[in-house]
Amino acid sequence: MQQVTLSKRINELLVLAVLDRGPAHGYQIALSVDERTGGAFSFQHGTLYPILHRLEGDGRVRGRWQGEGRRRKTYRITRDGRADLAAGGAELERQMRALMALVRGSHAA
Amino acid sequence: MPREHPLAGVERELKVGPRRRLDLIEEVDADVRALQGELERRGRTPDEALEEALRQLVPAEDALEQLEARHGSRLQRRILAARWLDLAVRLGVGAAATLAGLAAITIAEPGPEGPSATLVWSQVILIALLAANAAWAGARLWIHGDLRSGERRLLWTRHGGLIVAAVALAALAAAWEGQIAFATIDPATVSSLFAWAVVQKVAHVAAIGLATAIFGLFGWLAITPRMITDEEVERRIARFFARGRPPLYPSTD
Repeated sequence: MQQVTLSKRINELLVLAVLDRGPAHGYQIALSVDERTGGAFSFQHGTLYPILHRLEGDGRVRGRWQGEGRRRKTYRITRDGRADLAAGGAELERQMRALMALVRGSHAA
Repeated sequence: MPREHPLAGVERELKVGPRRRLDLIEEVDADVRALQGELERRGRTPDEALEEALRQLVPAEDALEQLEARHGSRLQRRILAARWLDLAVRLGVGAAATLAGLAAITIAEPGPEGPSATLVWSQVILIALLAANAAWAGARLWIHGDLRSGERRLLWTRHGGLIVAAVALAALAAAWEGQIAFATIDPATVSSLFAWAVVQKVAHVAAIGLATAIFGLFGWLAITPRMITDEEVERRIARFFARGRPPLYPSTD
């Protein structure tokens, strides 16, 4: 897997977390992320698609076209995606804890 | 005045092959329609819902760059990363033209003498131009991953023109050789040996032109299968924009 920045990593985990609950179209992922994070995170200006396509390219999600004529694409998480979600979630939690400890520490000082 | 389809700009700006472009615009279009419907069900007006759906889902510049980086060829990614794409393409085209020209000179040596020599040697330039044209198309296809319809037409026009020019110049050179040889002698004294020598000269200059045309045709054949596939996808993209506007996007202001 290529190296990604923290914000990209968070975006990946957001998408994987939504897909962990079941297959979804791109717009459903965007809507779900917005709703489930209370608007703290949202995808704007099509930033969702590079993330989805990267995850698909890496085999962490699988995209499938449905329908004739007007096609729609549905994404589902793979086993690799679930493993990445678990590992990435744990790593992010550790990083956030360390970050908050530093931030709170600087406030206390 | 007809309003442009909101995804037309995405299709125009995205520098990846037509298959990827079609997939992306179909995916985004389906999502925009569905999100618009969902937002309308939640109480937004159609205009508000459409605006919100477009704002969220239509890829802007940053997303397009990331998509290009994701879907471009490995060669394209390496060259783009090194920031010497244009230079690489120019050098490749120049090298192909030079090599083809040098090969043609080597093959044609010592070549005919006299007036038709100019016409024959012009074939070397044509071969170099054919090689440059094919190399340019190859670079566009396999480095950029994309050759748009206009560029494709330009490629065929140039290639066709160069092939026709090669055949025409060869025919002219052959006729010239024959005319010079037979115009200066008395037909009654022509020996079969002399006639054979003239036929050889005529055949030689004609063969060089024919070889140039065949060289051009091979370049054509090498690229054509990919061109046909891409052209079919381009037609599907055109059909997408032709049918996609009315239900979702107002066609007039």
